Amino acid sequence: MSNVPLLEVTNVNKRFGGLKALQDVNLSLETGKLHAIIGPNGAGKTTLFNVVTGTIPVTSGRIKFLGTDMTNDKIHRISRRGLARTLQIKSVFANMTVRENLWIAAQSHHGVFSPFKSWKKCVRSVEMADIICEQIGLTSLADQTASNLSHGDIALLEMGLALATEPKLLLLDEPICGMGPAETEQTVIKIQEISKSTAIIIIEHDIEVVFKIADEITVMANGTVLAKGTPESIAANSDVRNAYLGDDDDD
Amino acid sequence: MRVTDTYKFGSWLLVLFTLTAPWVLPLLVDSFWVDIYSEILIWSLLAASVNLLLGYVGLLSFGQALFFGFGMYGVAIGVVKFDLGFWSAFIFGISLATGMAAIAGSLAVRLTWHYFAIITVVFSLIFYFTALSWKPITGGDDGLPFTIPPIISFGDYKLTMTNANFQYFFIVTIVGACYWLMYRVINSPLGRAFVTVRENDARAALIGLNVYLIRLTAFIFAGFIAGVAGALFALFGRYASASYMFYHVSGEAVVWAIIGGVGTLFGPIVGTGLMIVLREELSSVWDHYLLLVGVAVILTVIFAPRGIGGAFKALAEKIARQQFSRKESGP
Amino acid sequence: MDLVFALALNGIVWGLIIALIALGLSIIFGLLDIINIAHGDFFMVGTVLAWTVLQTTGNYWLAFLLVPIIGFGLGLLINHAVIQPIKNAAALSIVATFGLSIILQESVRATYGAAPNRLVAPIQETLLLFGIQYEVYRIFAAAIAIFAICVFFGFLHKTKLGTWMRAVRFDPEIATAMGIPAHRIYMVTFGIGFAMAALGGVVAAPITTVDFQGGIDILPFCFMAVIIGGLGNLEGTVAAAVLLAFVEGIITSFTDPTIARIGSLIFMSAVLIVRPHGIFVGATR
Repeated sequence: MSNVPLLEVTNVNKRFGGLKALQDVNLSLETGKLHAIIGPNGAGKTTLFNVVTGTIPVTSGRIKFLGTDMTNDKIHRISRRGLARTLQIKSVFANMTVRENLWIAAQSHHGVFSPFKSWKKCVRSVEMADIICEQIGLTSLADQTASNLSHGDIALLEMGLALATEPKLLLLDEPICGMGPAETEQTVIKIQEISKSTAIIIIEHDIEVVFKIADEITVMANGTVLAKGTPESIAANSDVRNAYLGDDDDD
Repeated sequence: MRVTDTYKFGSWLLVLFTLTAPWVLPLLVDSFWVDIYSEILIWSLLAASVNLLLGYVGLLSFGQALFFGFGMYGVAIGVVKFDLGFWSAFIFGISLATGMAAIAGSLAVRLTWHYFAIITVVFSLIFYFTALSWKPITGGDDGLPFTIPPIISFGDYKLTMTNANFQYFFIVTIVGACYWLMYRVINSPLGRAFVTVRENDARAALIGLNVYLIRLTAFIFAGFIAGVAGALFALFGRYASASYMFYHVSGEAVVWAIIGGVGTLFGPIVGTGLMIVLREELSSVWDHYLLLVGVAVILTVIFAPRGIGGAFKALAEKIARQQFSRKESGP
Repeated sequence: MDLVFALALNGIVWGLIIALIALGLSIIFGLLDIINIAHGDFFMVGTVLAWTVLQTTGNYWLAFLLVPIIGFGLGLLINHAVIQPIKNAAALSIVATFGLSIILQESVRATYGAAPNRLVAPIQETLLLFGIQYEVYRIFAAAIAIFAICVFFGFLHKTKLGTWMRAVRFDPEIATAMGIPAHRIYMVTFGIGFAMAALGGVVAAPITTVDFQGGIDILPFCFMAVIIGGLGNLEGTVAAAVLLAFVEGIITSFTDPTIARIGSLIFMSAVLIVRPHGIFVGATR
């Protein structure tokens, strides 16, 4: 079990018409670490997340999760295998309360949708929702409708949705994008806490944050993987400096 | 707190009225209003089936009359062609509608919004035209009348729907059972999954919900409810006709649901009741009362898209918030 | 064989008229994102207006000029009163236009009456065409429809307003940012949509009946043309309308017309499910 990689991406290509969004991407990520993917806009980071979670099909190549091939599998099946993600544009169930949001995510993971039982009597999911509420620090807002939450709280709730499905791997797409300094700090602490129990892959533009929290960094550019390694080795990598950090001073 | 009390009081009033209607209505107005009230209850189920889709999974169906028609023809054909008894014909009609919903749904729920609305109209039109031209079975334009079989017969003693009070309470029981079922489903994990898909289908898939299956389940359930309505209406009117499958009937049901308020359990009853009473009262006085219906529809969509039920809910929430904040800031 | 030929020819004529009406439906959907259930009634209003013009002036040719103008005006009015207020609730636009359809039908029934009328075609001659006597008016109707469709495409591709309409259809936000008055474009679009349906009514009135329910049969046909041709694909809509009417015409010559209609509807469902962008779009899209 320990030598099976958590996520294994082999020769994955994705084309949109003539545009090559991903070119022969190879990645092998081990369990129990906080990985980060960085790269300039259009490097293919979000596209990689999209093909991994089944949101869009790959043109060619294979994706394995915990040793099982799940290339082009249905989105909900991939989610049930234990792969959860958040979106770049934050999205939750706006007209449901925080508690209901988390409840449905937890219930969805157990997969039982009885048409007759009262949903409030599904004790396991109710408890799970409370635990996650506590974990993301939204207990005081549990009965608020999600559409009334602040931007930062919505981002936390979205992370909570992912956590409530008890994932083995969590993909975070720019989790602190658009947050103020206080919110950023709070969220980064949460991410570090979560990473103790769950493997995480994070896409983030804030290089400072990435180098502070990541165990391992993958650099992407133009749809390919440029380099992979520890923060120290990435910082020292001249290719990365030239191709990404140097080039991108306009960003 | 007081708002939920009003709501409870209203519900009990509705139940009390429904149970005493056969005696109260003739005293208050006229005995034919008992039949109209039965009709309102039956048609409200068709509006409720629109509401299940639009209000709970977020799909606008303009073809629910198809399943109403299947329920109707199932009963009529069952009695006339297969010589079925009361219950078998009733169940046959509902099964036919539910089965059709499963087939139509498996194709239709692949699409959403405009495309979904169009394909539901198209499906209902296909069967409307089929029923029109397949005269030996459906009676075409003239419809298919039948004599209602007895519910129970012991030798000479026969219990039939020709007894007005019995017919009324039969309809009340079936309609009541349907609302109870809808209430249970809406408050079940499955019902929560419906709402989740309505809120954000992309997100719902990402937390592991099978969006297609959930939409299909809702579609079949809605088809079942519409089928019960059609089967009841066939028994009530003692005939089936292709004209009830036309998209105007579906459209009317959408109108009732929206005016009553989608996403609320009893909205469809309120909307259907209001519009049918309006029709009964106005059509004898003013031949062109439909103008008023058209205007009411447009005004509702523009100014109160959540209908009467939605407006009540919003008001209730507002009052609840005020009470809450008063409690917070109070001594 | 003569009958098949006549029905096929009728089909093409009818298809061209439908194409004219369906183009209006298609631009209203493409630009305003509104499924216009009342579009058949716009056609019906056209036939009734044509009848009224004939009754009051005794000259049917005037209707070809007057009715589209009145239709355009009615379109602007309806756009202002109904369509603009519901633009934010596009999801319920079907319901609002259903209400509009009820209002139009009922107003016509209240003013014009419920009894259907037949119009005498302004051209009575027939022509010997490939061995059958064919009504000249139908050929004239087809010519008018083709002419109007050409004018419409010319307008769309050669004038500033037409270019703006295409820009708004492509991306309303970018178009607005570039200074195109999107609001006015919506208004004009709806007016043109109504005018085209009304013109279709004038052209068709002498070969069909004038009746307040006349739009009910037309609507599904227009939707079939728009869907099978591809929502928003205007050339596809024209091709699909002609093709469908032609095929239905031929099928009608040896079986019940209702069966032809059922066949078209089943074909349309298949298109919706398998190729929602229409049958004329290549696999590249």
